[in-house]
Amino acid sequence: MRVLVIDELAEDLEERAEILRDGLERAGHEVVASLSSPLELLRAVERLRPDVIVIDTESPTRDVLEHLVIVSQSSPRPIVMFASDSGGEAIREAVRAGVSAYVVDGLDAGRVNTIVEVACARFDELQRLKVELADANLKLSERKLVERAKGLLMQSRGISEDQAYHALRKLAMSKKQRLGDVAQQLIDSAELLGKA
Amino acid sequence: MSLVPNAVRTGAWAAGSDAPEKKEVKIGFIPLTDCSSVVMASVMEFDKKYGIKIVPSKEASWAAVRDKLVNGELDAAHVLYGLIYGLQMGVGGPKKDMAVLMNLNHNGQAITLSRKLYDKGVVDGFTLKKLIDKEKADYTFAQTFPTGTHAMWLYYWLAAHGINPFADVKTITVPPPQMVANMRVGNMDGYCVGEPWNNRAIVDKIGFTANTTQEIWKDHPEKTLGCSAEFVQKNPNTARAMTAAVIEAGRWIDASLVNRQKTAEVVADKSYVNTDKDVIVARMLGRYDNGIGKVWDDKDYMKFYNDGYVTFPYLSDGMWFMTQHRRWGLLKEDPDYLAIAKKVNRIDVYKEAAAMTKTPLPKEPMRSAKMIDGVVWDGKDPAKYAGSFKVKVA
Repeated sequence: MRVLVIDELAEDLEERAEILRDGLERAGHEVVASLSSPLELLRAVERLRPDVIVIDTESPTRDVLEHLVIVSQSSPRPIVMFASDSGGEAIREAVRAGVSAYVVDGLDAGRVNTIVEVACARFDELQRLKVELADANLKLSERKLVERAKGLLMQSRGISEDQAYHALRKLAMSKKQRLGDVAQQLIDSAELLGKA
Repeated sequence: MSLVPNAVRTGAWAAGSDAPEKKEVKIGFIPLTDCSSVVMASVMEFDKKYGIKIVPSKEASWAAVRDKLVNGELDAAHVLYGLIYGLQMGVGGPKKDMAVLMNLNHNGQAITLSRKLYDKGVVDGFTLKKLIDKEKADYTFAQTFPTGTHAMWLYYWLAAHGINPFADVKTITVPPPQMVANMRVGNMDGYCVGEPWNNRAIVDKIGFTANTTQEIWKDHPEKTLGCSAEFVQKNPNTARAMTAAVIEAGRWIDASLVNRQKTAEVVADKSYVNTDKDVIVARMLGRYDNGIGKVWDDKDYMKFYNDGYVTFPYLSDGMWFMTQHRRWGLLKEDPDYLAIAKKVNRIDVYKEAAAMTKTPLPKEPMRSAKMIDGVVWDGKDPAKYAGSFKVKVA
């Protein structure tokens, strides 16, 4: 089967297409990617004649596909897969994972479900990786701030690195703030006073 | 002024068997000026008065609004009248029993044509028809959702000028905030959408207003406060409270130009419509400029209450969308128009909310209007009406 993946941004698109390829090409499906600008998308659908279209549930472009669904009942174009399954577990799962799928009428439901399941699982995985990456980035930038704040304290108060760290932590705990936030405030005030 | 203190009156509604079953309701909306009464019900805390908290939720597409109404992720939504009926009938997608609690607004959408067409002498529907007859080309027109109101206004308007929307031109669906950008790069010749995206095309000098939708049908129905029938069945008190809060917000918006101005300021924010306040405010106050030399004060601007004329869910309004779905082949046969409208449009819930808000009720659940092509719609013989159009698909 030919699967078309649609996304708003070029970088996200390749990422999404890649994770789907990984799961689906081994099973003999072909994965093609397209950007979501309405006319580009319509041309891509006409040219590629996909059996299944996978798109982010929150994409504004979904409405463009809805029109195709309505006007192309006689030609092999996508229709909403959830037509026969409205309110069911499949749609809930797909929406939660951020996947909407549009498929050609008359396809083997089992095979389509496999594609959507793979898409859901992969999108979940992608989402988890993104959250992890954001977390790691936050921690990294916090560590940098704490390092700088420690340096400022050591310099101005003539204390050891260990003492500086404990001073910061005590302040953070007493103000019920994140260590990174307290460090940022200290750096800001030092800059204001021309000491940084 | 009532002699009973406010807190006592609202307390009465929030107590005993009248207490809302669900205290916090998530109401979806699409960034358009006509989401105003839903947003203001929350911002001005009219919701609190009726014992609920409205949480407006910005949605990216009508398809997402539909899916979330079906799976319960949204409790209710600012939603296209036609979409609710399309969902009720299962047109091109899921089928689910739906409810129209009230109509949110009258008027305030428009048909925008490109400057490129203007340069070829097109100023209205008649000159557009002339050009299409004379110069063969791919003319592309956009609306916002296949079963929605803008699709129906666009098709009606084209057909009223002898242009078949499916045979003579190409029609596509484009999300409202993307309309202007797509016209700018020459992707389309015209579109029908809600404000502020018609005025935006004029401010950006890429298009002009050929007709407002109030010229197609004065005081036409547009967005509804919609939810699933299941939601009303499980939460009748919440449905009533929600309707009352939004009716009251609509009344507040319509009460003065100052309130309208303030509403425009609130909804222009990036959490709602996300555009310049000035682009919203002009047409919100009825100050129209068609972009090609005509400037006027429109008394039929976008209204949210109008003494309850806007908010009442007229059966003839609901039926009209089915007649047009039938006309354009979205419905393959005539449904039982009246029975379905009676089931979907929850006049029972509305009446209770109207009593709570002291909103006047009309004498009849039907109303009559003369459209741009001179044809009268009064809800009396929907099947005959649906089949009577010369330009059609079905």
